[in-house]
Amino acid sequence: MVTQFLGLKLRLLANTFRRSPMQNLGIVIGLIYALGATGVTVAGLASLRRVDPLLAGSITVTVGSVIVLGFLVVPLAFGVDHTLDPRSFALFGLPTNRLAPALALAGLVGLPALFITAIAIAQVVTWARDPLSVVLASISAIVIIATSVLGARISSSLASLLLATRRAREITNLIVLIALVSLAPIVAVLASVDWDRGGLRALRSVADVAGWTPLGVAWSAPAELASGNGGVAVLKMLIALALVGLLWLAWRALVGWLLVAPQRRERGANPVRLGWFGRLPSSPVGAIAARSITYWIRDARYHTALLAVPVAPLLFVIALAVAGVPGSVLALVPVPVMCLFLAWSAHNDVAYDNSALWLHVASNTPGWADRFGRLVPALLIGIPLVLIGSPISAGVSGDISVLPSLIGVSSSLLFAGLGLSSVISAAFPYPSVRPGDSPFAQPQASGTGAGLIQSVAFFAAIVLSLPALLLAALGLLNPDVRGWPLAALLVGVGLGLVLFTLGVVWGGRIFTRRAPELLAFTLRQ
Amino acid sequence: MLVGSGLVKKFGDTLAVDRISVSVPAGSIFGFVGPNGAGKTTLLSMVTGLLRPDGGSVSVRGADVWSDPAVAKRNMGVLPDRLRLFDRLTGSQLLYYAGTLRGLDARTVKQRSTDLAAAFGLEDALGRLVSDYSEGMTKKIALACAMIHSPRLLVLDEPFESVDPVSAANITAILHKYVAAGGTVVLSSHSMDLIERICDRVAIVVNGRVLASGTVTEVRGTGSLEERFLALAGSRITAEGMEWLHSFSD
Repeated sequence: MVTQFLGLKLRLLANTFRRSPMQNLGIVIGLIYALGATGVTVAGLASLRRVDPLLAGSITVTVGSVIVLGFLVVPLAFGVDHTLDPRSFALFGLPTNRLAPALALAGLVGLPALFITAIAIAQVVTWARDPLSVVLASISAIVIIATSVLGARISSSLASLLLATRRAREITNLIVLIALVSLAPIVAVLASVDWDRGGLRALRSVADVAGWTPLGVAWSAPAELASGNGGVAVLKMLIALALVGLLWLAWRALVGWLLVAPQRRERGANPVRLGWFGRLPSSPVGAIAARSITYWIRDARYHTALLAVPVAPLLFVIALAVAGVPGSVLALVPVPVMCLFLAWSAHNDVAYDNSALWLHVASNTPGWADRFGRLVPALLIGIPLVLIGSPISAGVSGDISVLPSLIGVSSSLLFAGLGLSSVISAAFPYPSVRPGDSPFAQPQASGTGAGLIQSVAFFAAIVLSLPALLLAALGLLNPDVRGWPLAALLVGVGLGLVLFTLGVVWGGRIFTRRAPELLAFTLRQ
Repeated sequence: MLVGSGLVKKFGDTLAVDRISVSVPAGSIFGFVGPNGAGKTTLLSMVTGLLRPDGGSVSVRGADVWSDPAVAKRNMGVLPDRLRLFDRLTGSQLLYYAGTLRGLDARTVKQRSTDLAAAFGLEDALGRLVSDYSEGMTKKIALACAMIHSPRLLVLDEPFESVDPVSAANITAILHKYVAAGGTVVLSSHSMDLIERICDRVAIVVNGRVLASGTVTEVRGTGSLEERFLALAGSRITAEGMEWLHSFSD
């Protein structure tokens, strides 16, 4: 049975790459990133071999604890790897005593397990100072791998058990989003620490504590031995081994429990409350807008699209900063880029509905109402973003006179982009993830044109905003001429609104004409 | 009330609906019966304006569904089979959505939602997301959505599938009252008993063609509707070659 499970896991791993080119690109980028991070960690650990044991120990224990923590927390937050959820095997009638070890071993096949194995082996190199240390560090390596992989399996199963209700998942998503946003200040604080003086002491006190916790105890044992504390080293190793035993018992119990545990049911909310439907006017446009907003809030597929809105400019700014672009220019980048991604995220909205679109077709919903209603959530986020974000950006850049240009360019990208998305989602829908599936799942039939449509929707929005962009650039290059920024504002907002209206009207005509064909398209997915 | 003539739909090489003509008089319950894959759903999708026919025409109260959809669709309530709902909405949100898209004002929708929920026994479920509903409950909330704008004609594809017997009796009662008040119902099913009990008229559809149609008594003749149906559909009962099923592996 173990061989079958390993084979299944390998097949699942290989299938990760059977996706659209854009998704494959994303996977490859993620892979390169992970490989890079692992490579750096491995090289770092290996180079610690010649470092004083006290310092080396502080570093390995701190870094190691963070890595093990990652294995425990990431599955809890994202609920990754449902592929080998014990629940999936409930109907095969396999005895728990065979299923639990097979699933745990299958957890060893996979990229995270591969990376932790590489890191655990590098940790042996750190402590390869005498034969006894090598032996102890090797045991540590096995314990580290077992702790990480078992821990990840347990927390992802716990996540599937505890976060089964939608409300729980919505709250977790929100927490993750807040955590991501608050990462920036943390990084800033860390960067401001005076590492030369206080840094080492801080590191050592962190390692002292972490070395006794389940996260760092296995990392700490060889460090203690190298520092001459043989007794403590043995004690820590015993604790680490006992911990793996506990994890194993917990995993076995969890598998047994999951096989028979009922799915959790959610309690109903107050039926009288209509949420967004009660707040917006009771017309087709209002109802479609309320439905869209509700979906943006509740549906994980929209969350992933929305996540790109703050993350993309962050990456953009980091890349530009590395390239040496000055801060005064960098400060101008985020708001327009966010507007661009926000507008772009609506370009395949019809496909997200899947066959539920029939309700619009059967009700003979006016095309423009369908188009406009779907764009309302993006407008609700985008307009405050431009109005509040632009002054902040201009302030940070230190030159308040660019404010009109910034508002002009951002509005142009937002409005023209939304108009474009309105036309494209009616004229060229392509298969997307089905409702209820994981946002990272593979669409049932990846269209050949998906990548092309995505790129056109993205770059055409930039092309349509070229007038405002050019005027803004002229304003930046000729700071003496006061007229350029104002021209960029007027042209950006004006042209944006015209293109938005055109997009809604034109997209609406296409929708009215092709509604049955659009429905047929969603049925083919 | 509903007139379809010469309706044709092809999917690739297969002829799903082959020149079907129907006429449903006002105030009747008309049932389409047929085996799986007979073309019932395709036919009803073309009637309701969800699927563009390759040939033929449909009109509702004289308004052509494909050239005058505004009038024709206003008079129709639709329950499609196997299409999704906007299931990330709660039951009451979905009803509100369906009603508002049909142009009803907020107060009317809320009033009718309460009535429909009571009629279908969904009061406790209105606050929950439709994606958490069982299949039968999903069917009932979709039926409620089809009725909320009080149309003249209800087109229901498999309205009784996976609905429990109590709810089915309830729905039947609602439909009978609706017809008595002048409404018209077109429905499809593969349950002969049900069709025989509640429909005034039936049409037997096999392989995209209507093999028999008329009032229930006309179609069934001397036997039961099921016997007539099996005779027309070509009863093919194969229970041979499955002996391994009786060997019980432990």
